Amino acid sequence: MTDEPILVMKGIKKSFGTNAALQDVNFTLAVREIHGLLGGNGAGKTTLMNILFGLYRADSGEIILHGKRVDIHSPKDAIRLRIGMVHQQFLQIKSFSVLQNVVLGTSVKNKFRLNLAEEEKKVRELSARFGLDVDPQALIEDLPMGVRQKVEILKALYRGVEILILDEPTTNLTPQEVDGLFQSLRVMVKEGMSIVFITHKLREVLSVCDRISVLRNGNNVMTLKREESSEEAFVRGMVGEELDLQSSVVFSQGGLEESVQTVGQNIVLQLDQVQLLNEEGRSLIKGITFEIREGEIFGVAGVADNGQKELAEVILGIQPASSGCVRLYGNTITHKPTSDLLESGISYIPEDCLRDGFLPKASVAQNLILGFHKQKPYSRNGFMDLNAILNAARGLISDYNIKTQGPTDTGANLSGGNIQRVVVSRAFSHPCKLLVAHNPTRGLDIPSIDFVYSRLLQNKKNGMATLLISENLDELLLLCNRIAVMYRGEVVGVLDRAHLEKYEIGRMMSGVRTDA
Amino acid sequence: MFVQTREKVNNRSILFRKILGKVLPYLVAVLAAFAAVGLVIGLMGFNVLKAYETILFTSFRTPNGIVQTLLKFVPLMLQALAFTIPLSTGKFNIGGEGQMIVGGIGAAAVGILFADLPGYILLPLVFLAGILAGAIWGLIPAWLLYKFNINEILSTVLLNFVSFQLIDFIASEVWKDPVAGHPTTVPIGEGGWLPLLVDNPPLHSGIILALLVAVGIYIYTNRTTSGYEMVVTGANPRASKVFGIDVRKMFMLSLVIAGALAGLAGVIEVSGYQHRLIKDFQSNFLVLGLIIGLIAKGNNLAVPFVAFFIAILEVGASAMQRTMSIPVEMAYIVEALILLFVLLSDRVKIRRR
Repeated sequence: MTDEPILVMKGIKKSFGTNAALQDVNFTLAVREIHGLLGGNGAGKTTLMNILFGLYRADSGEIILHGKRVDIHSPKDAIRLRIGMVHQQFLQIKSFSVLQNVVLGTSVKNKFRLNLAEEEKKVRELSARFGLDVDPQALIEDLPMGVRQKVEILKALYRGVEILILDEPTTNLTPQEVDGLFQSLRVMVKEGMSIVFITHKLREVLSVCDRISVLRNGNNVMTLKREESSEEAFVRGMVGEELDLQSSVVFSQGGLEESVQTVGQNIVLQLDQVQLLNEEGRSLIKGITFEIREGEIFGVAGVADNGQKELAEVILGIQPASSGCVRLYGNTITHKPTSDLLESGISYIPEDCLRDGFLPKASVAQNLILGFHKQKPYSRNGFMDLNAILNAARGLISDYNIKTQGPTDTGANLSGGNIQRVVVSRAFSHPCKLLVAHNPTRGLDIPSIDFVYSRLLQNKKNGMATLLISENLDELLLLCNRIAVMYRGEVVGVLDRAHLEKYEIGRMMSGVRTDA
Repeated sequence: MFVQTREKVNNRSILFRKILGKVLPYLVAVLAAFAAVGLVIGLMGFNVLKAYETILFTSFRTPNGIVQTLLKFVPLMLQALAFTIPLSTGKFNIGGEGQMIVGGIGAAAVGILFADLPGYILLPLVFLAGILAGAIWGLIPAWLLYKFNINEILSTVLLNFVSFQLIDFIASEVWKDPVAGHPTTVPIGEGGWLPLLVDNPPLHSGIILALLVAVGIYIYTNRTTSGYEMVVTGANPRASKVFGIDVRKMFMLSLVIAGALAGLAGVIEVSGYQHRLIKDFQSNFLVLGLIIGLIAKGNNLAVPFVAFFIAILEVGASAMQRTMSIPVEMAYIVEALILLFVLLSDRVKIRRR
């Protein structure tokens, strides 16, 4: 590392409406370092880097690159200044090959004939050099998420960036793929690049980063070298003083075993050879068989889009199973309408909250009763009890710390994290027998995640069954009695808590069957 | 606790600001529309101030003006609701015209066939028949949408054309009044006439029905479980489906209710005003209803107020034509400009964010 930093961001301020996302943030990136940008959701990490990449304009503050002040108005400017960014959502054309995606948007020499032989050579060279093993001729749609991310990194490398920003790069990777990514990052740094690594996962930054900056509520909290710091210090930095670490579920170190292990006897949910076909007759999920008992948290692991959402929707009756049988307390519910299932005690937290669980044009109170609106006390003889609804809404807003002007505020005024809070609090607002929760903590800050976990454990104690579908492996390992791993619509295997092992699950997530 | 106390303190000022924030763009839009039209009227060489005065105050100057305004108000408001109720589920009913015609046909048919029945039997029958006929005219596109996913905009518009032929056939073939020059049926039985509220100038009691409907619709959408499902369906159909609402049924229900309301507008015209079925009696109420619904931004509570204002403009505009020979089309220009400016104010609001 040299003393002269490659990049300095000074006094960056940015607000969206009345909401200040960044309040006077400073950030320094040294040459040849991997700099972790750590913080809970809503801390401002991604906003800060989006400003650097030209997606947002800062309200004030300056960016100094190689000692010179620069103005970055668009991603085009950023790439010209050799800054690249890999977003959480990949921007790729699925029906194109890897190579076509990589060169898309650059000026290729012979663009009328589009002879890409030379480009292909260059891409192969890059992937060999950085250990990003990708076939340039493969179609994007055939590739698993882990490889698609390598493509995204290759895109940046092909454009010759010297600063690479990675936004939560490990979200959809198996533990093996995470290790591979970290090795590639090390090679890049050795070759002279500098990397910003945005994450909310503490263990990841500790294992790969040279320096770590913590943001909280749009403010700098600290910047430390890895070797100078302890895990404890970062935890404090991320969550502030408000969270009691002793009683926290998120940061508990194995102290949960006792409460997690106990499981009741009665079977709540039972799936028997459940299959779902799409309109063309291709199976989206097949041969799904498992049961969940009272007081059990049953996890479903897997890379996104391997049939998890379809599994949830089959259980909820949103897409009735094509064959097989779903039972709730022994009663067949395979073809019952969703409204009956909700009434008989199933709660649902959908994966895509904004699309599947939220009403931007309705009020917060109307949002908070969706699905329970036919039940007492909200509805009596076909009429809505507005007082009961408003009171319930006020209670949930304060319990779950939903930031809104009040129950009559329009849903569209809520931020992403608060939308998630609405959907989660609604699912917990009524006693139920079975909770189907799909990525329930996505977009939540740490105290809220902790709150959700403790609610899950409390419900478990009360004998409720939970189907916890999550892409966050740490979450599943922390809370689940058993974990099923899904791959291409099938359950590859089910592991007991006694046999939970991260790398084993990782192998299963990439489709390797085990005898266990 | 903190949230609640703050809520109480700020409640009044928030409410006041909310109302101001909603009304202000309308005021500005109306003023701007009048200014623009005033400019045109002035350039055409008319007295602008006198034109304004005529257009705004004709409705209130004479008892006749008030009655004319109320008579216009009833079908306008019903047509607007027939548009905004499906709109609240995200569906577009452009068939209010056909539904009104068919409602009128239903009312006239019963009124003519059973002309000798006493009022206490015939009047409810006339209303029932008309409302039912309108509802059926709404049910057809609703069912096509439910069963075959056929776009309701197309099917409602096309059914309008069917209804034009239907009324022509009925008024010039089936129950033709031989004396009338224009296709018109013979009168319905006197038992089917809507009682008068005021004798001179004649004002029928349809206005009371219309206001009851407006209140009923407000209660339905805001206080009932079914109304909640309807509003929620429009807010996000996908999420509504995920949380157990049969959204396609709600689409269907909203279109049937709309048909019934437009049908009621037809009944009131026949039973209260003309006492016979006259071809083209539906006037341009559909288009004005759409404009009212859009100016009200689909808000059922705002519809009656906007409809009343448009009724004033309509009455004022025809007076303006009579007394000053300024073309009545000026009123349409004002209405269209108000709509444009209201829509524009939305864009301005979004920009300012």
